[in-house]
Amino acid sequence: MAIRTIVRLTPAKPKAGENFKLQVVAQHPNEPGTRRDAEGKIIPAKYINQVEVYFEGEKVAEAKPGPSTSANPLYGFMFKAEKAGTFTVKLKDTDGDTGEGTAKLELA
Amino acid sequence: MNRRAFLRTTGVALGAVALAGLPVRAQGLEGEDLANLEKALQAVLGKGFKDLTPSNVIKLTVPAIAESGANVPAEVEVNLPSNQVKAIHLFADKNPTPHLVAFMPMKALPYYATRVRLAETSAVRAVVETVDGKFLLASASTRVTVGGCG
Repeated sequence: MAIRTIVRLTPAKPKAGENFKLQVVAQHPNEPGTRRDAEGKIIPAKYINQVEVYFEGEKVAEAKPGPSTSANPLYGFMFKAEKAGTFTVKLKDTDGDTGEGTAKLELA
Repeated sequence: MNRRAFLRTTGVALGAVALAGLPVRAQGLEGEDLANLEKALQAVLGKGFKDLTPSNVIKLTVPAIAESGANVPAEVEVNLPSNQVKAIHLFADKNPTPHLVAFMPMKALPYYATRVRLAETSAVRAVVETVDGKFLLASASTRVTVGGCG
């Protein structure tokens, strides 16, 4: 099952040389494997453990979150705006499910 | 005490602590668990708590009080050039898995924001690994009303 991934830039159109945030929100339960359901059974772990950010095909940042990440997680990065292009964010969880989101960087 | 007054006084108190440059070793933070943290540090970094240098170039922002441990915003900002930071790690002392995240900035600025789970009231650590092999530390503490891991 694909992970729903939304990528957003703040500010949406930064000036050249300005810093901007790239925020990623994923729709994912991020089960840490320590919680129990109503019958007391442990819910198996299933969490996103790889976040990769690509800019124009080049890998520019990587995060490896552990099980202690909230459900529907947010990942925030900061970049300096240099040239216009497309950011692609690739997510992968412990079951091998993947998600992908893109955002276009346009300079003001 | 109402919420406004409470926020103001805690803010002033925290500011005073920050100004005094207190965050050094054994700072008596709420929810510290060095034994649990030490294990995670050894497993992830191969370093112990004593190898970390407290540093004021790291700005770690976590709420002082979180109503739910299931969703606690955490933000790290490192006041170093991007090419000097190899990795940023986040740890929570009291979590069953203390290592929250490893972030490799590469071409990004040394900044990372996320939302984490905290099992209970815990100290949160930001550990920055620099290119020349130094480990810098910043600590903060979040009081959790309802845990997020169990």
